[in-house]
Amino acid sequence: MKKVRDESGYTLWDDYRYAFHWLKKKEGAGAIAACAGSSALGVVLPFLEAALAGAVAACLISGNRPEIILLLVTGYVILLQVVRFVQNHLKEVQDKALTLFRIGMATEFYRKCVEMDGQYMESAQGRRKMTQARENLFSGEDSGIEAFMRLFWITATNVAGLISYAVIVGRANPLLLLLLVPRAFLDEFLEKSLRKSTYAMIKKNAKNRQDFFYLRRESISIENGKDIRLYRMDQWLLRAFHEVVDKIVALEYKTAKGFLLAGIADNGLTFLVNGVVYGYLILQMARGNLTLPLFLLYVGVVAGFGSWMTGLFFSFHQIYQVKVPMDKYREFMDDVTFKEDGMGRLVNPGKPHEIRLENVCFCYEGSEKDTIHDLSLTISAGEKIALVGLNGAGKTTLTKLLCGYYRPTSGKIYLDGQDMGTLSREECFREFAVVFQDVFAFSFPLVENVSCVKEGQEEIGRLEQCLQKAGLTERVNELPKGVKTTMNKDLDEEGVALSGGQLQKLMLARALYKDAPVVILDEPTAALDPIAESEMYEKYDEIIRGKTGIFISHRLSSTRFCDRILYMEKGTVAEDGSHEELMGRQGAYAELFALQAQYYQQKGQGECHA
Amino acid sequence: MHDFISTHKTGFRLLKKIHSVNPIIIPVYLLEVIFNLVQVYMSLFLTAGLVDLLRQGSFRQAGVQALLLLGANMLCGVIVQFIRSRIRGLQNVAGLAIFVWLREKIFSMDYETVEKPEISEKIAFSEKTSDNYGSLGMVLARYRDILQAFLSVMLSVSMVIYLCLARPVGRGTFLDTFAGPLPSLLLFGCALVGMAYFSGQVFQKFSRKQKSYFAANTGREMKESYLLNQVFVNEKAGKIVRLYGMEEMLMENAAEEVGKSRAYWAGMFDVMRKTVQANNGMNSLFTIGSYLLVTLKVVTGAITVGAFTQYAGALNQFGNACFIIINCQVRLRNICTYMDKFLAFLDMESGHAKGGLPIEKQDGGEYELVFENVSFRYPGSENYAMRNVSCRLNVRGRMALVGRNGAGKTTFIKLLCRLYEPTEGRITLNGVDIREYDEEAYQSLFGVVFQDFKLLSFPVWENITAGGERQDDKIWKALEQADAAELVRKMPAQLDTYLYKELEEGVEVSGGEAQRLAIARALYKDAPIVILDEPTAALDPVAEAEVYARFNEMVEGKTGICISHRMSSCQFCDEIIVFENGGIVERGSHEELYALGGNYAKMWNAQAKYYV
Repeated sequence: MKKVRDESGYTLWDDYRYAFHWLKKKEGAGAIAACAGSSALGVVLPFLEAALAGAVAACLISGNRPEIILLLVTGYVILLQVVRFVQNHLKEVQDKALTLFRIGMATEFYRKCVEMDGQYMESAQGRRKMTQARENLFSGEDSGIEAFMRLFWITATNVAGLISYAVIVGRANPLLLLLLVPRAFLDEFLEKSLRKSTYAMIKKNAKNRQDFFYLRRESISIENGKDIRLYRMDQWLLRAFHEVVDKIVALEYKTAKGFLLAGIADNGLTFLVNGVVYGYLILQMARGNLTLPLFLLYVGVVAGFGSWMTGLFFSFHQIYQVKVPMDKYREFMDDVTFKEDGMGRLVNPGKPHEIRLENVCFCYEGSEKDTIHDLSLTISAGEKIALVGLNGAGKTTLTKLLCGYYRPTSGKIYLDGQDMGTLSREECFREFAVVFQDVFAFSFPLVENVSCVKEGQEEIGRLEQCLQKAGLTERVNELPKGVKTTMNKDLDEEGVALSGGQLQKLMLARALYKDAPVVILDEPTAALDPIAESEMYEKYDEIIRGKTGIFISHRLSSTRFCDRILYMEKGTVAEDGSHEELMGRQGAYAELFALQAQYYQQKGQGECHA
Repeated sequence: MHDFISTHKTGFRLLKKIHSVNPIIIPVYLLEVIFNLVQVYMSLFLTAGLVDLLRQGSFRQAGVQALLLLGANMLCGVIVQFIRSRIRGLQNVAGLAIFVWLREKIFSMDYETVEKPEISEKIAFSEKTSDNYGSLGMVLARYRDILQAFLSVMLSVSMVIYLCLARPVGRGTFLDTFAGPLPSLLLFGCALVGMAYFSGQVFQKFSRKQKSYFAANTGREMKESYLLNQVFVNEKAGKIVRLYGMEEMLMENAAEEVGKSRAYWAGMFDVMRKTVQANNGMNSLFTIGSYLLVTLKVVTGAITVGAFTQYAGALNQFGNACFIIINCQVRLRNICTYMDKFLAFLDMESGHAKGGLPIEKQDGGEYELVFENVSFRYPGSENYAMRNVSCRLNVRGRMALVGRNGAGKTTFIKLLCRLYEPTEGRITLNGVDIREYDEEAYQSLFGVVFQDFKLLSFPVWENITAGGERQDDKIWKALEQADAAELVRKMPAQLDTYLYKELEEGVEVSGGEAQRLAIARALYKDAPIVILDEPTAALDPVAEAEVYARFNEMVEGKTGICISHRMSSCQFCDEIIVFENGGIVERGSHEELYALGGNYAKMWNAQAKYYV
């Protein structure tokens, strides 16, 4: 599809082409036909209703025989009811089609979310774009593409209604149009200027409502429940609630004033305009130029004309409102692509790789300082590395760089001498099994959490072996449906939530199942008790046999089973060597180790192998 | 019928509660109903008069009548505008009140009760549905609509009955006989009864289906929201998805859920369409019959052409009102379905009795806490989290609780703080069951920093005092002790600085910094017993060493209890309690337990061997 874009984004025309393209693709041409039919009848029905009084009056004073009159009127009413029935049916079909359309579009959005660049997804800008784009599909029927589509038909109905009514009013006297049209514009203008101040207040109140929501969330969360009770925070929170409620209500009253003025003005205008219209029509009747049925018809049509006008203004206003999330969505779907970078193939996939960093710098978007600064480093194939350092030293960022998830701001990273920037990311990712600090399970079956493929496609032997190695077999056997048990209750009421320690083991099992040549574990023992921690250390050798391993931990004991320690400080490797070497150097690492070790040694020294 | 009664029982209870929040709300809504009706029916009468005047050719009078019609309309319109501007504020008062009630209730409940999964699900359901379908404001608005529609039905029906009584002027024709009062009344009566009956049938037929769709709705939306928020737009999940190549698995699962959503909505729309169309069909038949009647009256000369417009208008109102009543009844029933759960929640027992004995705070911490054969089972769980624990706590000095994951350490603390009540056995303070004491007084003995503590997006000082009275000296002292004074001094507005960005543009604090503030909060409380639950799990070695190094200072003159997986922390403690499988297995000083060579020694060695 050709992109037509002006400075403000996509044109209305282009947006509708896009929306129609997808509507047809998702719901078929039948849906469009139903919408069109519903809109067309949406003009016919109100007209028949408005003309009813006049038509009946015409019959009544026609001088026909009563039986004929009765038949005519009944016929008209039946016609009206049939049209109403069909219109209602089509309207419901339209509503259904448009809602299903919006729901079905989620697949495209989801696909984009998993295919977009991961580093971009983590950036503030990426997250903002994603949040804005989702509005289009996930904010209910009154926002985004569904409303955009519905408004198209509403506008179409209003335009058609307006034109046909204008023709009828014009037949009475074209001058009446000169009265009715400007009136609608005046109304619109008055409303706009009177409400200008109220929009600011509505915006302000939106912030108050956000605050209210924050209080709602925090006051109800189970974790906070303990503190709320023990610290008697209830009165504080309730006070905060009442304060926000008072603020919201006070602002609503202020806002209401703007609406009140607009409402009064509208009533006044209606009085004036209708006064002229009624006066003119009565005058025409007095002069004998107009019959009673036509009088009734015109009165009905004039009232209808006003509502078509208001409807049109309103739908136009709304279209531009829902166009915003629509455009953000399209921007997201069009611009944020993933696959544009390197397409190069790996020379030796599946082998323990040598990773070399050359003057690598990395700076988070919006940050002034490099998180990783001028880092050069070579990790040989099969090495066992311990990565240590204080919070904020850049350890986690480094791991994301190593596996190609982040790309350096400057400098280069080589995988077996191949520049990672030229390689396909998917290929790179295949070479790394990383356990991050965020410990959580997807609310899918356990087997899918470990194997990362759809249930049924896993290798069951390998799965069991990995669960065993991760120390999770016992727990899995206790689960109601074994490995097929769904995690958590989000998607399945019979799902089971694992504890923090068990989740950490689950993450490890996933990394093992992947069987990648480079294994990176970021704080894999934070939630484990001393025995489980020690078991993990003992198994570590086995886990990374024949692979390259990188182990990050605040527990410096972990350095003891690694060949080489990288001590990070301020975004670079400050010390590099074996435990013995670094202890001998008496630098920052030795100090840190001593700090943690002292308490184990003072009393435990010499006895610990007892 | 049963459904109908229970809906309105709930509805009226809610109205009563709204009335208790602000007694002006309901009268203002009633006023709106009255003026809306006045506007509609006055227009009908005045229009009828206008048509008759025009038909008679009295155009001057017709002009006056038209002016009257328009003027009355304007007046009513303006009055309704005034009423609505009041309602704009009032509906918020009602709409937001429910969330506050819910919290008042939750705060009054035991932690043990609130933590039950079925309770938190109930709360989440009430909250979510209130968000999606409107809360009390919606109940009010629907009752207003129903009342207005009901009154409209009464008015229009009495108008039509009046119409039926009008006698035709002609004599003897076939039509005239039908147009007579008795036949018309019969005709109208049959139509009315028939419509009421069939509407009831339709309602019955679709009601259950609709209800079940509605009941499933929240669950469906929660699932959608999970997929969207926790999986697809969650950048934390994003890196795992990419690195582990989970894309296809996710898309398959998502397609499945999207398919279920579509099927759900398609079913919902079909039921809605059938209901609406069945009602419309009924309505149409009635309308056709009624027009027949009114036309009959006109052609037989029983009423004028002008009156025709009036009655036609009334019938129109009648049809609309019936539609509104049925529609609102459905919507009210839906709202009341979840409001019922909400009311049932408010009616729940708050939990255990609170006790009333006061506690005299004693200097030097002369408190003796004793667990006597205490067992505890989490609500809904079959296994004991704590089994038959008996121990005496010398409330003085420092104590460490250690043990494997799930051994019962945190449960022990929660029991001690009276967040849970023992399933069996009892805990005593100075020889008296702790349940006998006033809850607030008892809990004031403990300053606890839980592992999952959270500071709120309020000023620092309010976080430290937990919303209590502000005493700067005391706050700074607590901050000093917790090693957080320097941190707060560097903040732009010191104690008045907001934390985080939720409520105001505040400052972000790291995990370690937040922890120091939380410790300050515990110290500010000036409780004789300070408890830290795994304070160092996320801290780096330097921060960890600082916490332990200061632990002494922090709890000076108090009792300090520390739960930790870092065995080194035991070094700072006078006494160590070792938990295993929900019981206490060892107790003593580090030296004693180490020499014992049991669980403790095993855990110690498991960590210590790497540091030698």
